[in-house]
Amino acid sequence: MTPSDGYALIALCLLPLSVSLVLFAVPSGRRRIVVSITGLASLLMLALSVYVFTRYSFAGQQFQGVLAWTWMQHVGFLGEKGIQFKVGVDGISASLVLLTGVVVVPATWVTWKVRDRMKDFFILLYLVTAGVYGSFVLLDLFFWFLFYELALMPMYLLIAVWGSTRKEYGAMKLMMMLLAGSIFIFTVIFALFTHVGAGTFDMVTLLEAKKELWFQRAFFPVLVIGCGTLGAIFPFHSWSPDGHAAAPTSVSMLHAGVLMKVGAFGVVRIGFQMMPEGGAYWAPALIVLGATAGLYGAISALRQTDMKLLMGFSSVSHMGYVFLGLGTFNAIGWSGAILQMTAHGWMTALFFLLIGGMYDQSHNRDIPNFSGMAKQMPVWSIFFIFASLASLGLPGLSGFVAELHIFIGTFRAYPIVGGIAVLTAAITTTYLIRMLAQAFFGEMNPRWSHLQEITWLERAGAAVLALAILGLGLWPAPWIARIAPSIINIPGITL
Amino acid sequence: MDQAWILPAIPVAIFIVVALFGRLLPRQGDFLVILGGLTVVGLVFSMVPGFQGAFHEGHFAPDGANAFSFDWVNIGQGFFIIPFSTYVDAITMVMLPVVSIVALMVMIYSVGYMHGEARYHWYFAVLSFFIAAMLTLVLSGNLIQLYLAWEGVGLASFLLIGFYWERQSAAEAAKKAFITTRVGDVGLMIGIILLWRATGSFDIQDIIAVAKSGQIDHTYLTVSMLFLFAGAVGKSAQFPLHVWLPDAMEGPTPVSALIHAATMVVAGVYLVARFSPVYAEVLIARDVVFYTGLITAVMAGTMGLVASDIKRVLAYSTVSQLGFMFVALGTGAVGAAMFHLFTHAFFKALLFLGSGSVIHATHAQEVESLGGLRRKMPWTTTTFVIGSLALAGVPVFAGFWSKDEILAATLEDAPLWTYVTLAGTAILTAIYSTRLVLLTFFGAPRDHHAYDHAHESPWIMLGPLVILATLATVAGFFALDQVGQSLGFVGGIGQLVFLEHAHPFTEPEWLLAGIATLGALAGIGIGIAYWHGDARRAVAARQWAPDLHALLVNRYYMDNLYQAVIDRVILGLGGVIAWFDKRIVNETGVDGGAQTVGYLGYRLKFLQTGRIPNYALGMAVGLITIAAIAFGKQG
Repeated sequence: MTPSDGYALIALCLLPLSVSLVLFAVPSGRRRIVVSITGLASLLMLALSVYVFTRYSFAGQQFQGVLAWTWMQHVGFLGEKGIQFKVGVDGISASLVLLTGVVVVPATWVTWKVRDRMKDFFILLYLVTAGVYGSFVLLDLFFWFLFYELALMPMYLLIAVWGSTRKEYGAMKLMMMLLAGSIFIFTVIFALFTHVGAGTFDMVTLLEAKKELWFQRAFFPVLVIGCGTLGAIFPFHSWSPDGHAAAPTSVSMLHAGVLMKVGAFGVVRIGFQMMPEGGAYWAPALIVLGATAGLYGAISALRQTDMKLLMGFSSVSHMGYVFLGLGTFNAIGWSGAILQMTAHGWMTALFFLLIGGMYDQSHNRDIPNFSGMAKQMPVWSIFFIFASLASLGLPGLSGFVAELHIFIGTFRAYPIVGGIAVLTAAITTTYLIRMLAQAFFGEMNPRWSHLQEITWLERAGAAVLALAILGLGLWPAPWIARIAPSIINIPGITL
Repeated sequence: MDQAWILPAIPVAIFIVVALFGRLLPRQGDFLVILGGLTVVGLVFSMVPGFQGAFHEGHFAPDGANAFSFDWVNIGQGFFIIPFSTYVDAITMVMLPVVSIVALMVMIYSVGYMHGEARYHWYFAVLSFFIAAMLTLVLSGNLIQLYLAWEGVGLASFLLIGFYWERQSAAEAAKKAFITTRVGDVGLMIGIILLWRATGSFDIQDIIAVAKSGQIDHTYLTVSMLFLFAGAVGKSAQFPLHVWLPDAMEGPTPVSALIHAATMVVAGVYLVARFSPVYAEVLIARDVVFYTGLITAVMAGTMGLVASDIKRVLAYSTVSQLGFMFVALGTGAVGAAMFHLFTHAFFKALLFLGSGSVIHATHAQEVESLGGLRRKMPWTTTTFVIGSLALAGVPVFAGFWSKDEILAATLEDAPLWTYVTLAGTAILTAIYSTRLVLLTFFGAPRDHHAYDHAHESPWIMLGPLVILATLATVAGFFALDQVGQSLGFVGGIGQLVFLEHAHPFTEPEWLLAGIATLGALAGIGIGIAYWHGDARRAVAARQWAPDLHALLVNRYYMDNLYQAVIDRVILGLGGVIAWFDKRIVNETGVDGGAQTVGYLGYRLKFLQTGRIPNYALGMAVGLITIAAIAFGKQG
């Protein structure tokens, strides 16, 4: 990746932002214009994301495509570098950029179904998208936090206006918990700024600067609480099931698929990369939290009957794997954790897309109310079974590659916990297969004979996600080749 | 032989084509699948000459023949590598013909059996996928690839058991099979990772070499091998995870023949055989294999005695015969186990396809509503009887040779009582297979509707039956060194499979063989004397010992036990955790926190009274406090 490729990264931040602004000017009634603009923009984002991912050279430096403009310097406590608009990716964020690109396209397509104020929906949705991309590619903590908040704020309106089932409650809870988390992040950012004392928010500077041991140990857990809330780490997860259940389809897709990964990515970037010794000290705690979340989410999911709630708890469980992998603090577990972000992002997005496609018609998500749906909606069912198989870690699909690395990494560090993690996979199988046997097989419930097959757009969106899941599952080498060198660069990490 | 990856690649390609475009193809693409199967059989036999005479002591495969390998995952420039590679040795060379020939027979047979079914192309597509996964499994050079294929065959099994998913029972059976085998797979995964932890490699031959060199702690190795065996227990339906296989009979019958009799369920046997050099190091683990096999053989044999569904009888018989194979592995007689796997695949596939022919003709599966079919279905009857004789262990037929080998190995290397038990189970096998034959094909027809409806199956189904019947007759001769040598091999199958413990097998040990033969004949005699085609005797047995009968019919109540554990313990725990999450974490913690803030706000707002004196008082108190602190610090 050459520095000029940094323009692609800038485009990724600014394109969705400018789409939001342009949409303000479009008259509300002109749906076709909105559809054309967003369709084009989403494809462009996918193309740029693929470009960034493929161009990232795993032989080169850790941060590539670095471009910076100084925004403020020598003002007050700001030094030479001050606050910069600085972009650049390492292998980890490059893989997450690709994750986002693949989720945004189907999320855009399913939003075209929204009847009520679609334009406004898109304005907010693309603000979230801009925030997410910014969080992955920005290398200045000031702007990073700005975009991070940009990704959260519109969520409230998106859920409270366009949501379903207890939407005000879900939206408020999600917002309150995530903002409470932001306070912790904010604290850590300023603590880092003052402790390093270089007068800059530049991440690379902060990353390379020497930080005292006590500082790292004191502030690492603060950051984990802050970012971990967005990553739905146990016990700060309870916004996730309710929030997902209340959110409209594309918001669930983007939120569970991508936004939660911003939280985990924060733990990686600001936590482990900037405070590696603190990370090493607290890694066992992450192991405990991650393994607990994995088991806890899976066992809770056993008793859920609402499909979206089930997926919400399943997400808690799968994100638990991410933190478990990070807690191993070795390269194998870490590769698994980073892969799991992508793997989980795609399969959850697929799940929510499918649930939404059915819910729009049936206004019912209660699993016991369904049976034999494979008869009524075969294409939908095939995709759903595919997503379930990916989620339960069937080899050849993305979930397996990630889980395998996490398991091995965990076994390397803590064999007993590794055993628990593998067992969790069996529980995951149980709740997913139980759902499949109940809802998709057996005699068709005639109550749903009016349901239509999902639309062609939804099929296309599902196919995009399914292909991505298959690609990562069958041939993970391109991901590993980019992720692993960035991981090995973290000081103190074991191989 | 480094081109062996082509074998699974062919059916995978056909799977993709048929699954996506099957509806558009003529005949829904079934000919493509069969063509693929035929190609695989051809390629397998073209590999045989490379093996003839190429063995010498200590080498399982011709040197340099297993060069195919690439890195699937590589972290830290070679620190952590998952390679994909193929490995072909004698054990593989026993598996390959079994898999490919039985698969081809089942594919051809299915054209007749599945004719006119809805989702016809999907059936053939999944069949092709299964073959690919099964071939990958037996060709795998490393454990991750093996696990991948292992789950792949499991997926195919799940999809095919649930092929008639509109039936609630099929949906339940598919669910049960998937979850039960998955429990075993947890063990397999842990075993694989434990072995990697000790050896730093996933390559099977590397692991074996390190384990044999004694560098791994003995206890650690024992535990690892037990975990590995757990995977085999799940896949090969051994006690206590045998419960899924009888229910798996909900799938189409050809699938039962291929997946649930001849190939997938022997994957566990294959796995343990592959690691037999390591099991020879850890005798405790090997004993576990032995006794698991023994318990399963006896248990399933007794259950087969009372089952009334023709396919279920065969399913119990399969479980029991798999138990025999594990017994052989548990004594270290890998050759005998692989040999029984080899013969069993042919005669059990034959029996299943024969039962499929009956079901196809009568649409009935309960033996009590069949009977007298030999007059209407002579070919099916003849081939089925041949299969039963092979299963019962009557000389000349294949089952005799291999079962005799297992019994001999047990007598040689295990306590006498286990030999007696196993021999008793062999007699039991003869009894229940005789019962099945008599009740299905002999005597007077009991359900005239089914009988009148019956007709001999078309030749596309009878052809595979005849071929398999031939194999079920001659497959046993491969035990003889003379036969092996005349075909250009170094010797019989016992010589090929496990060279280190090879003992020349030129002729059977006549005494043991005589006992086994007598046992088999006695079993058949008992069966004929008791049932002679009379279903009323089945009722009589029920009345003779109702408790025992109920115990066997209810499968020792193990299914009930598991169901109770899942309902009460696991779902109960789920209920507790879900309650905890809802009430404690969410309503008390999160909502409660929000309510506390709200309540505090409500309380504190009364501080703002709007009266000047109140504020003045507050200011005064504040000032005095600050002043006091300031002076206190100075002083």
